[in-house]
Amino acid sequence: MTIRLSDEQRDLRDAVRVLADERIAPRAAAIDATGEFPWDVVELLAHHDILALPFPVEHGGLGGDLLSTCLAVEQVSRACATSGLIVAVQSLGSLPLLLAGTPEQQARWFPDLAAGRALAAFALTESEAGSDARAVRTTAHSDGDGWRIDGAKRFISQGNVARVVTVFAVTDPEPEAVRQHRHLTCFVVEQGAPGFSTARIEHKMGIRGSPTAELLFEGVSVPDANRVGEVGEGFAIAMRTLDRSRPGIAAQAVGIAQGALEASARYAANRRQFGRPIGEHQMITAMLADMASRTEAARQLLYAACVEVEAGSPAASRWSAMCKLVAGDTAMAVTTDAVQVFGGYGYITEYPVERMMRDAKITQLYEGTQQIQRLVIGRDVLEHGG
Amino acid sequence: MAGPTILALAEFAGGEPTRLSLELATLATELAAAADGHAVVACIGTFTAAGVAEVADYAPEVLAIEAETSGTVPAAAVIAAQLLAILDRTTADLVLVPASADGKDVAGIVAARRDLPVLVNAAGVSWSDDGLVVEMNAFGGRLITRSGFTSGGGIVIVRPGATTAHASGAIGRVETVTPAAPVEDRVRVIERLATAGAAVSIDDAQVVVAGGRGVAGADGFGVIEDLADAFGGAVAGTRAVVDAGWLSYAQQVGQTGKIIKPALYIAAGVSGAIQHKVGMQTSGTIVAINRDPDAPIVDFADLVIVGDLFEVVPRLAAAVRARRG
Amino acid sequence: MHIVVLVKAVPIVGNERLLDGQRVDRGSGLEANGNDEYVLETALKLTETHGGDVTLLTMGPAGAAEALRKGLAMGAARAVHVIDDAFGGSCARATAEVLAAALRTLTFDLVFAGADTSDGQGGTLAASIATRLDLPYLSYAGHVEPTADGAGVRIHRLSAVGHDVLEAPMPALVMGTQVLGEPRYPSLRGIMGARSKEIVTRSLADLGIDPSRVGADAATTRVLGVSPPPPRAGATVLRTDPDAAVAATIDFLAARGLV
Repeated sequence: MTIRLSDEQRDLRDAVRVLADERIAPRAAAIDATGEFPWDVVELLAHHDILALPFPVEHGGLGGDLLSTCLAVEQVSRACATSGLIVAVQSLGSLPLLLAGTPEQQARWFPDLAAGRALAAFALTESEAGSDARAVRTTAHSDGDGWRIDGAKRFISQGNVARVVTVFAVTDPEPEAVRQHRHLTCFVVEQGAPGFSTARIEHKMGIRGSPTAELLFEGVSVPDANRVGEVGEGFAIAMRTLDRSRPGIAAQAVGIAQGALEASARYAANRRQFGRPIGEHQMITAMLADMASRTEAARQLLYAACVEVEAGSPAASRWSAMCKLVAGDTAMAVTTDAVQVFGGYGYITEYPVERMMRDAKITQLYEGTQQIQRLVIGRDVLEHGG
Repeated sequence: MAGPTILALAEFAGGEPTRLSLELATLATELAAAADGHAVVACIGTFTAAGVAEVADYAPEVLAIEAETSGTVPAAAVIAAQLLAILDRTTADLVLVPASADGKDVAGIVAARRDLPVLVNAAGVSWSDDGLVVEMNAFGGRLITRSGFTSGGGIVIVRPGATTAHASGAIGRVETVTPAAPVEDRVRVIERLATAGAAVSIDDAQVVVAGGRGVAGADGFGVIEDLADAFGGAVAGTRAVVDAGWLSYAQQVGQTGKIIKPALYIAAGVSGAIQHKVGMQTSGTIVAINRDPDAPIVDFADLVIVGDLFEVVPRLAAAVRARRG
Repeated sequence: MHIVVLVKAVPIVGNERLLDGQRVDRGSGLEANGNDEYVLETALKLTETHGGDVTLLTMGPAGAAEALRKGLAMGAARAVHVIDDAFGGSCARATAEVLAAALRTLTFDLVFAGADTSDGQGGTLAASIATRLDLPYLSYAGHVEPTADGAGVRIHRLSAVGHDVLEAPMPALVMGTQVLGEPRYPSLRGIMGARSKEIVTRSLADLGIDPSRVGADAATTRVLGVSPPPPRAGATVLRTDPDAAVAATIDFLAARGLV
């Protein structure tokens, strides 16, 4: 199978690239230095309909497919990983509703999400439930016509700035339910709901402009109309969400790698030592070649995975895990090499590559660590003999 | 009559022929002489007796047709109507039209009315064994094309610098022609506005001094203007400085501005990006003043001064003035 | 207001490719002529303010559709692509005749065209088309608006000293310049909405054009030869202090008779 972008996809990619280069790139260093959530970038992305990409046209979205959303994430991440994440998380937080929401629920929340008037977030992870989603402890108890949610979520991207948070809570703690992965249910909790608060924001190595929140649920009441999907369907919804959101993170990683590659190529063409541009010294040339080749390989795998997942392939989970695995490792390798190409200058904050290297690391950690990705892929390899 | 009749259109500003029109008069005369034909210059517009007499210094035959070009009918419509009347009574094998805004409009109107072929953007016109050869710089000078008419003649729109205007040495015969009936046009000129301090035209200036982003502000253009003044030349700029409002669009050189070919083009603080390059790369001599020795303009300049333009340009202006006395 | 915008697909500036060393490749690697985008932007703004819509019209090979796609993504409602193998090699006269024929099949209040094309072929097409269609012709516009009564068009025509104000009844043909204002970036909504917009093709037969009037065989002009410009000798680079540099510059210019 070969991937050739359609004219429309190319135009979309190019339009986002121009916007990212002209309006977002100049903000990247400051966003990292101050660690402030860039509301101006949110507004820019909203204004240019980039946040509208994954939503249905009838609710003001653009009806874009997975590849289109990933093209946008990639181009924005090239300029700024925090900004690319805004696009990815808008999709991630909304996916449970896209996959399992009722028409009423979609009509209720999608218009604001598509327009960028509201941000979304996805709350599954807890302090004791990272890779192990069976260990979720946040509970949802039936309470009259609705539910009462108690517990805490950790490491939730944009958890404190999102108006619409899709939360996964235990509705059936019985061991049998846990074993069958029917112990969780998904709910929408809206910002400002009594008992719903942010306990802290983490100080991180990278993507420093993206607030990573610990969320507290202290007797938060939600109506049953906020329940997404069936009771006990939460885990399945979460897994289907990850199949579509992991490519988004892969796109962020490919974008980070591309940005680092371009910065390195420009630097190597201009920096002169021993009488010529360092890019012409073989060891540097070789590094640039490897960086470019690996980035392209990660990109092609990402695009192929998008097409497969969108087409409903039975191997969607494997494609999704593979593209995220390869892209994350590529971003880390390429940005590390980028710092190397810059030499001493690569280590100082005046040059962008140290930030890119710090940003890249997260792509090996969230939305499933590389180890989890390998488990997913390995299981599938054994099951299918290859 | 053996050879071809070559008719050149002369335009007037302030009652006098434009420099480009005199170049066309010379060109028509040269082409006619080379082919044993005869050259006629049609002066159409509002002119003084001295203005027409000047044209007669450059060509053997002059037709003077007075027509109101500053009235309520657009000049091109007025001139086109008179030119059509001339073409009805004088069979011209070749019509040379100046590459001014009005000239191009006139050519378009006449070409459609008489179903004539047109060759545009001529940088040179000459004869060969194949007949008329029109040389054009295509794609901003990346290619030089030589074209001709497949049969018979047509209209050629001629750019400044296709030839050097020079007096023929004899005084041409002037015939005053009664203008054809004034043309009505549904397009009306309501008013003509002059903006304060309009600059010297860059279209046919021999020396052009251009400033780019490196000039960093409308004030910075003072040194550019001073250098242009020292040379007696014109001030131009890149798209960036026009967008920033430091210069008017009439002074923009480049892909969406003007394509010019002065004998000397001095570019101060201009990087030389392709969109600007296509506007000036066929200039006779290109001098670049830039702090960056790796700017793209270095690849196609003749002389590069690496330095601060605010240090170099004023000194150069002083040196030029001293030299010119 | 219904406005038809003429769009020419030209080789991307700086990337012009030569086929067999003689002819420029006009089949691929094309973009909309720079000035056409300015007039398109003006057309879009006018219809957004006063109602109506914009139709794009282009004549060219299949690759010309690139320029149409971007115009549709910017907000034009539909496009007409005049395409026929018989048109290949047409001269300026034939091009004007074909576009005039295409315009006769459309209803409009205004036709917009850009000034001069970056491939150096323009300059007379707009005037010729207006003349063939007997439309009022207003050129070198830096500003366009409808007249107060809405029945006419008013432009600022750039002049050497400022601008002239011109008015004419509609329908009319306006040729415009960069001064009209920066074209918008196609929005994502526009890009993804473009796929549902119609591009109608028109052939020689559709327009009722006599084949003997168009194409290479009917061309009234022909290219005799093509060559690259004489190469410039490499630059002399001066890196000395300003006074020494200026002195050397004067000598350089004097040697060339420029000062």
